[in-house]
Amino acid sequence: MSASSQTFSALLPGDVSDDSSKRALLAEIDASCRVPVLFFVISGLLWLLAGTALALVASIKLHSPGFLASWEFLTFGRVRPAHLNTVIYGFASQTGIGVTLWLMCRLCRVPFVAPGLATVAAIFWNIGLTVGVVGILIGDSTSIEWLELPRYSTPILFFSYVLVAVWAIITFRLRREQHLYVSQWYLLAAILWFPWLYATAQIMLLIEPVRGVVQAAVNWWFAHNVLGLWFTPIGLASIYYFIPKVIGRPIHSYYLSVLGFWSLALFYNWNGLHHLIGGPMPAWMITVSIVASVMMLIPVTTVAINHHMTMWGHFGKLKHSPTLRFVVVGALCYTATSLQGIANSLRSYSEVVHFTHHTIAHAHLGLYGFFAMVMFGSLYYIIPRITQREWPSLGLISLHFWACFLGLALYVVPLSLGGILQGLAMNDASVPFLKVVEGTLPWLKLRTFAGLLLGLGHVAFVGNLVWLLARVFGPYRKPVVAILMGAETAAVVGK
Amino acid sequence: MNVLAILMIGGVLAVPGVALVALRWASHRGELNLPERAALLPFDEEEPVGRATDQILNRQSAES
Amino acid sequence: MKYGPLLFLGILFTLASSWVGLVLAPKQQLGGLVPNVSTNALGAVVLYPQARKGEAQQGEEHYRSLGCVYCHSQQVRPEGFGSDITRGWGKRRTVSRDYLYDKPVMLGTSRTGPDLTNIGERQSDSGWHFAHLYNPQITSKGSVMPPYPFLFQLRKIGPGGASTNALKLSGEFAVAEGWEVVPKDSARQLVEYLRSLKTSVDLPEAPLPKVQEGAAK
Ligand code: HEC
Repeated sequence: MSASSQTFSALLPGDVSDDSSKRALLAEIDASCRVPVLFFVISGLLWLLAGTALALVASIKLHSPGFLASWEFLTFGRVRPAHLNTVIYGFASQTGIGVTLWLMCRLCRVPFVAPGLATVAAIFWNIGLTVGVVGILIGDSTSIEWLELPRYSTPILFFSYVLVAVWAIITFRLRREQHLYVSQWYLLAAILWFPWLYATAQIMLLIEPVRGVVQAAVNWWFAHNVLGLWFTPIGLASIYYFIPKVIGRPIHSYYLSVLGFWSLALFYNWNGLHHLIGGPMPAWMITVSIVASVMMLIPVTTVAINHHMTMWGHFGKLKHSPTLRFVVVGALCYTATSLQGIANSLRSYSEVVHFTHHTIAHAHLGLYGFFAMVMFGSLYYIIPRITQREWPSLGLISLHFWACFLGLALYVVPLSLGGILQGLAMNDASVPFLKVVEGTLPWLKLRTFAGLLLGLGHVAFVGNLVWLLARVFGPYRKPVVAILMGAETAAVVGK
Repeated sequence: MNVLAILMIGGVLAVPGVALVALRWASHRGELNLPERAALLPFDEEEPVGRATDQILNRQSAES
Repeated sequence: MKYGPLLFLGILFTLASSWVGLVLAPKQQLGGLVPNVSTNALGAVVLYPQARKGEAQQGEEHYRSLGCVYCHSQQVRPEGFGSDITRGWGKRRTVSRDYLYDKPVMLGTSRTGPDLTNIGERQSDSGWHFAHLYNPQITSKGSVMPPYPFLFQLRKIGPGGASTNALKLSGEFAVAEGWEVVPKDSARQLVEYLRSLKTSVDLPEAPLPKVQEGAAK
């Protein structure tokens, strides 16, 4: 501790360093998070690169089926689930856990307890996932969407998850701040919901499979809830923390956030079976899910109003804060993807877009536009604080942002439209199927291009991070401006 | 099918029941008195309300 | 402890509700489904559906392992909802019972390719399937379905002449003189599975449309 606080006070300019006791707590907490949080985050980002590469291969194959066609392990039906599982369980979950750990420590006001436990969890998570993804590529995929990781790999992941949950509960119990901020509710909920979802799905689908279409019910109860009860709460927790924190203004209405949380908790988990509209299930199951999906209007508008009203009058700060840029784009995408999701769950709309690329666009608007963007934003905030190093290149930050923003727009908007056209053509039985296929090609090619842009953004981000880390291990250099201070202080230093 | 019916009816009765009891109990303990203070939890004397953080993209101007 | 216990209860309680509603209830309602028993024209008892055996069962494993489900659904939506039935993907909608023995149930969420619920009825010619799997461009120019050359073996034609199951390849797909392409076991099993996919069986909950010649309005 003493060594790190010395480094830390060295970062502070003269006029505040005598005040070091005040900064001590945040600094101590941030420094204590360094190893475990970085471990999760860096592994997450490496999986992101792997997942992006797999995504590009899959995307190219979808318009040029001859691409890399002679290798069995790279066939579309394996690369696609390998992509999904690397980005979901590799990138999104691990980065999400990294951010969760840091937020928990900060909001509970306790330095990281048992960093060893969390680091061991991260190691096991990566082992389990590597085994699982290799398993998919060599043909052991379960072909159950979102649960493709073979049976022999998932217990390792689950074990690792249990360690994370134990850690979170310990931290929660040790908290020095008795009051709970809205972000903590979301995080605690995510941490308790996920193992329940995962265990149910594993047991009922892989270990002791239920018969017939009950599998489909469990499958979509799980798959939809992974989004709604695992990624969404982590993403919203980050938004609820970072928007106020960056602009220096408390959330617009605390009451609205309470309403938002409980309505999400009540309705979201009933949504899953709208993925089976028109399918071979008793009608009531699907109807219940459609009703619940429409009820999602409540949490979605509540959260949208709350975030927007908090930002009101502070949009100028978007220019200077990478965190705010990514997080605000993420928040907007959350609203957009939720509304799109509600539309998708209506029978008449689903009749057209179900089974088309529209769904893929929707999934990316949610997981990428909302979740990944919020995570990127959070990392821009967290990493300098836990490493006590600045981002070496502002140009790379801008490149990351614009590449991702453009890539996202070019991915989601055209493919959503293309999906609708595809669905309309498919529902017109007079259009031969191969004509439907042909009609999707321009959209799919554009998607590959958008994917390349996203990949460029990811490389820029990881490059910047590697550069920053090189400085952690390299000789200490006095930073130009201490970004760890508020804007005011930074402005003072600038003069 | 019968088990299902019992489960459903039982659920329909039990769910709001449990919720009511829990809410009463919680309000008795004062857990529902939401202090607006809770909205201030991300802030502290180190980084108080009113201080923006992370304004790093104007660093160029600071550097020059 | 502020809100702690309440939060904890609420978190568990909300998820428990849908766990009961969307996991346990479907299991209760559908877990006891049994095959339909009927008698055929000869008076013999017929069970539907039946568990797959032998090559078809092994083929299901290849279908799973190769991820065909990411482009092909196996569900026919009801008449009037989409064009599944008009496109000839099935004579009737599919119902829970059709999937009793699928391992796993691969309903699919994407129709980059056509629905395959009844491909066994639509296309029972193994030769067509072999050619299509070897390279979809042979049978369906412009398809985006990937070729599966690794399910086939390229080998020298033996002294006994070309094998009977060798693919008939011509034009741009032809292989060098004296060589032939034959399906491996995996291709044969996969095609047996595809040929086993058929649901045109009358069920009480999903009757086949009556063919009433002349009675049409
Ligand atoms: C990238 C998406 C994709 C994947 C993966 C894919 N298919 Fe296809 N499939 C198509 C498309 C598009 C068509 C329609 C054009 C054609 O006949 O090739 C098709 C057609 C078919 C047909 C003919 C259907 C009909 O109505 O005539 C069969 C059979 C078939 N695929 C089987 C398979 C099997 C088996 C697999 C897995 C080994 C598979 N497909 C994987 C896209 C795909």
